[in-house]
Amino acid sequence: MKIRKTRILEANIPTASMADIAFLLIVFFMISTVFQVDRTSVSLPESEKPTRKDVVKESAFIIIQEDGTIKASDGLEDSQLVNKEDIAIHASTWMRLNPNKPVVIKADATVKYSLVDDVLEQVRQAGVVNLKFLTNQQKGN
Amino acid sequence: MKMTELQKKEDAEIPTASMADIAFLLIVFFMLTTVFSANKGMEHMLPPRDQADDAIEPDEAIYIKVFPDGQFVMDEDTYQISQVERVYDYVNDKVQINAKKPIIIHTNPEAPYGDMVAILNQLKLLEARNKMQLAITIPSKDEAQRYAEYNQ
Repeated sequence: MKIRKTRILEANIPTASMADIAFLLIVFFMISTVFQVDRTSVSLPESEKPTRKDVVKESAFIIIQEDGTIKASDGLEDSQLVNKEDIAIHASTWMRLNPNKPVVIKADATVKYSLVDDVLEQVRQAGVVNLKFLTNQQKGN
Repeated sequence: MKMTELQKKEDAEIPTASMADIAFLLIVFFMLTTVFSANKGMEHMLPPRDQADDAIEPDEAIYIKVFPDGQFVMDEDTYQISQVERVYDYVNDKVQINAKKPIIIHTNPEAPYGDMVAILNQLKLLEARNKMQLAITIPSKDEAQRYAEYNQ
């Protein structure tokens, strides 16, 4: 009787589609990526879903933290600590470069209104027209 | 001549083994830098500087004053901030008669910012549901002073 030579199959894991899956994930993350100029954690006030509009790309940010410290960003560079009195100067610079630049107020819900009022007073002086109060979505809506 | 060795034919191939490594490296980068757009807020248009002096007379407006103790006064009626939904109904009734009726939100400097936003939220909700633009004013310090004197 003739014994046939057995063929040994090489064990391998097919990895050809691995790159396809990976690139699909890359595309997803590339599209959904938003580089934020500010990652300061503040407990924002809440508002209902229909009132909330998307923040336009490259909007300037003024952040008022719970302890009263203020940060600002022109929307292109990361936010930095600023003096309360200097906001008008910063805002004037933003307005000179782009008079329609939206300014986003990201303030802690618990801060005294006087702080926000001081900021609003200065952005008014600088000629800011388009303002946005950053909020979280109200629960249960 | 005798061919002793068979010439071995090599298959042409592009090495793709490292492709996945590069791809996963990029994935990790994008995963770390991704922030899902949670940036949303309530829009408010400030008057242009040349119109800033055209202050509204409080008697022709809906005047909402926010106090530090969690209360607010809306045209002489006092409410708790927990009753903020009343703003929606009250203003809705008024703007059905006069859509351009100005609304002034005058917040006490000691009041929490969140209370002012709660009232603004009701007005913006009304705007969104009725697809209309309300004349909402957040007074400057000078205007607020004038309104305070007017109400005394």
